[in-house]
Amino acid sequence: MRRTLRHHRYALRVALGRLAQHPFSTLANVLVISLTLALPIIAASILVSVQPVARDIPVSPEATLLIRPGTDMSATRELARRLEQEHGEHIASVRVVPRDEALETMKQNPAWTDALSVLPDNPLPDAIVVTLRDLPEMAQEAARLATLWRQLDNVDAVQLDRDWVRRLEALLHAARVGLGLLAVGVALVVLATVFNTVRMQALTQREEIGVARLVGATESFVRRPFLYLGGLTGLVSSILAIGLARAALAPLNEALARLSSTYGTEFTLHLPDALSLLLATIFVAILAALSARLSVTRNTQF
Amino acid sequence: MIEFQHVFKSYGRGRNILADINFRISPGEFVFVSGPSGAGKSTLLKLIGALEPPSRGSVHVNGHRVDKMPGRAQPYLRRAVGLILQDTHLLYDRNAINNVLLPLAVIGLAPSVAVTRARAAMEKVGLSGKEDLNPVEMSGGEQQRLAIARAIVNRPAILIADEPTANLDQDSAQRIMQVFRDFNRVGVTTLIASHDRKLMASYATRTLHIDNGRFTDIPGVIA
Repeated sequence: MRRTLRHHRYALRVALGRLAQHPFSTLANVLVISLTLALPIIAASILVSVQPVARDIPVSPEATLLIRPGTDMSATRELARRLEQEHGEHIASVRVVPRDEALETMKQNPAWTDALSVLPDNPLPDAIVVTLRDLPEMAQEAARLATLWRQLDNVDAVQLDRDWVRRLEALLHAARVGLGLLAVGVALVVLATVFNTVRMQALTQREEIGVARLVGATESFVRRPFLYLGGLTGLVSSILAIGLARAALAPLNEALARLSSTYGTEFTLHLPDALSLLLATIFVAILAALSARLSVTRNTQF
Repeated sequence: MIEFQHVFKSYGRGRNILADINFRISPGEFVFVSGPSGAGKSTLLKLIGALEPPSRGSVHVNGHRVDKMPGRAQPYLRRAVGLILQDTHLLYDRNAINNVLLPLAVIGLAPSVAVTRARAAMEKVGLSGKEDLNPVEMSGGEQQRLAIARAIVNRPAILIADEPTANLDQDSAQRIMQVFRDFNRVGVTTLIASHDRKLMASYATRTLHIDNGRFTDIPGVIA
């Protein structure tokens, strides 16, 4: 056990020594890998920041029927019942929202409080909120129903305003696929860079490898420092990439804060959670070590 | 113990570098392998150190059959065989003691014990006080002795040297031979390849003469 630990300590020392021997080359490699890694981290940050916003908004299409002012509440409730009866196959639920309830809900939003306080009376109409079933053909069907309902007595207007949420969902899905592809591309860059670095190192250390074999070194002993070299390169690059991504998000957030304040809301981009970053860092270190192993196995057969 | 039985060695379809070599060296023996350049001396030594496999025949070293030994077991055999090749194979990116420490790092010896042992090995070959020198700052004789220190630091049972005195003046050569004699006196089986007949004659010891890949008799030496 102690011997194994000593072997690992020796390998780590040799790997650090080799990295320190060529500081500019080491720095260049780490920079290339970390800049490449920073891209998917920033992309993931955008995705994890936008996802909760999209999740808070119902994805099922909703139609809001704004009732003509002066219409009796009982007539409104009757209309809601009729809608449910006539279009039950397309409707998931129907809810009547009285104008007072709608006003109270709006008042709870700080962005509206000031504006509503200066109004002499409630400007909102009664409304019927119809949640449509989430079917594949519902986008077209919802548009047809909206046109139909606009012609009903007592209905002033119909708002069908959830299409953009579905589009956002589709966009996020596309972004997730894109992020996956980007991650594969980045993994290939890490593999190639570490492979080449270790290849160069193995060629430089040819004499030492030969002597080590001459005095009884096993292949594990020969390979181990290179595995550490790859693993360390991956680890340092990942940490630096997280730092770079964090630095890049700061000016982005500043601009976003200005934009979102005009909508009376707050929105910031943040890095993925610590556990995800830790797992990603470990994954990159292992990937780099595996690349180093592949390289050293191929390039030390002499 | 080293034993060759009907050993042949050739590269590809070329001529035999070694042809039907048979010999046995008992533990603690001091043996010279003589012969002109290109006779096959170095190849014979490489076969003992499992640096190359024979084309045919069996090679036994230290109780192991080397020609049948799997690759992963060979490093462990090399730890029991101190090899000093014609080119010293010293590492010039580190100082003398770090060259000697390499075999001890390979076996995973504790650093404090390893340093003590490396210093002792350097002292035995007369390099005390030169631990911090880079090999490039040493003379040819000192470099050869440093290579010997690296070969003996692991306390091998067998010591093999290929032309260890080549290109050295007589004084340096004598000092190096004395080092080998000292190790042999404490029971280390020693095998030295040389083409220097005068040197071999000054040691009344067994000599295996090889020429054109085969053992031959030469006058004036004990075969």
